Amino acid sequence: MTDHSTRLTRRKFTAGLISSSLLVSSGMAGKGIEKKDGFDLMNEVLRFKKLDAYTTSVFTKESIAQHLDYADRYGVSRMFAANPMTQIELTPAEFRELNNKVIAAAKQYPDRFTGHFTLNPRFKKESLDEIDRCLDAGMTGTRLYQQIKINDPLYEPVIEKLASKNILVFMHGECQMGVGGYKMKYDAGKVKSISTPEDFADAARKYPEAMFQFAHLGGGSDWECMCKTFEPYPNIYVDTGGSNNEEYMVDFALKHLGEDRLFFGSDNSLYQSIGKIFASELTDGQKEKLLFKNYQRVLKKGGFHVD
Amino acid sequence: MWIDINAYTGNWPYKQLRNSNLAGLIGRMDRFGIDKAVVAGLSGIHYKNTQPANEELYSELKSNAAYKERIIPFAVINPAYPGWQQDLKKCIAKGFKGVRIYPQYHDYLPEDPVCTELVRICREEGLITALTIRMVDSRQRSWLDIPHVAGTGAGEWTLRNFIPLIRAIPEAPYFILNIANGLGVDQADLPLLKKSNILFDTSGRSLGFMPDVLRQYPVEKFAFGSHSPVLDYVTGMLRIESLRPDEAGERDKELMRSGNALRFLK
Repeated sequence: MTDHSTRLTRRKFTAGLISSSLLVSSGMAGKGIEKKDGFDLMNEVLRFKKLDAYTTSVFTKESIAQHLDYADRYGVSRMFAANPMTQIELTPAEFRELNNKVIAAAKQYPDRFTGHFTLNPRFKKESLDEIDRCLDAGMTGTRLYQQIKINDPLYEPVIEKLASKNILVFMHGECQMGVGGYKMKYDAGKVKSISTPEDFADAARKYPEAMFQFAHLGGGSDWECMCKTFEPYPNIYVDTGGSNNEEYMVDFALKHLGEDRLFFGSDNSLYQSIGKIFASELTDGQKEKLLFKNYQRVLKKGGFHVD
Repeated sequence: MWIDINAYTGNWPYKQLRNSNLAGLIGRMDRFGIDKAVVAGLSGIHYKNTQPANEELYSELKSNAAYKERIIPFAVINPAYPGWQQDLKKCIAKGFKGVRIYPQYHDYLPEDPVCTELVRICREEGLITALTIRMVDSRQRSWLDIPHVAGTGAGEWTLRNFIPLIRAIPEAPYFILNIANGLGVDQADLPLLKKSNILFDTSGRSLGFMPDVLRQYPVEKFAFGSHSPVLDYVTGMLRIESLRPDEAGERDKELMRSGNALRFLK
């Protein structure tokens, strides 16, 4: 309800204003515009080949159609895809079922999707067997979530096996106050087993021969903290996916991690994932690396060739 | 022609921002072909007395004659602090075209009488009232920032928080900026939003897939916004430019690039 005691009429309110010309013009006539014309955003976006190192799909008919549409719209050559990561126990039966859905989708669209597999290292033998089964089915890497922290000893057999095959250890990470051990007095109401950047650094120190992908720089958390934590560890890569598209995020990552440790990823945040790259100050060569060549190079180490 | 309806100059106390003055903003606008921008003083969000931020913006505007044609100033007003009426008068006299309010930061509710009074005056004076759903993603916030954190009891604000204000003064012109946490409102409020004189900017993450969004609201409800320098300068453009001809024709795109903004800023 309006407080009429403070209500001012238009007449009273404008009394005493400078009524002649306004000191600042809205300039709607467009005089004096000096901006550069001719910038074509979509031409710029489509100039670069892209590998999406972090595609998330539920692999329904509709979901697959949406992803194919996205890939066509933005010139994404191939999507490295898995199911959304969920906080379930992830028994062997559950992770096999999830992985089977991905395998089926990748078989249906072999030129567009490559699968990533999930597992749960609490089930050591079943997880190690699942790695072999999924690699045989054409998958190229992991999609690990927060069932267990990445530096938990339970993960060691999985990391060792993946490292022996030069396959990326892709895992979801967060860097939010009140999550996973980071300033827990600001409890964010999440499970404690989420991996933080420091957990990744711990694993990277212990396994310098392994390659880790921290997903995802734009996942909403403190990206400055992530980049500064990862700087000394050349075996930690990051993808730039996620819904957070703060200005300077990609440039900051380049400054701290260099141009060879950045991958392109979307995690279904289609506009932000593309926008933040093309708003950055990266050179064409650096964009080529981030959008395609870096991930291609790392896949090649594991024997996977992507043109 | 492109008009950015959501940009700032000034500082954010918890993180260094790039291109956070008018020279930096003009550089971004030039690089990406943007003609004009609606700009407010970012520092005012953390000032109790916001008028110095408006004065800072005005001084910066006067520092370069070229800015006059390209920058459209909006004032940050805190109606919960004494003297805001005088501040508003001074800003109108200096040519400010609208007002940005931040109830989350200035510790009042949109439906509080002081706020509805401010919006009523803005409507009478022909000023736009700009409502910002959020400034930053709370998951990466500083511990000194407001305690509205996603996933907790005191979650981030949504469009629903501003509905009582729009309901109280439905005829006022509103910009609704950086839409996060969904476009959803109660079913009963949907006709209000569709009928009201509102313009959503394209910077917010809740505009997840524009073809679907444009089936929910007509194209006349959207305008390019960057939320610069907090968010990247391109994502808001991409939401418009990546639409295919069968999703939005050239006329529709032009409305979102500048036509709808011009209708409000005339």
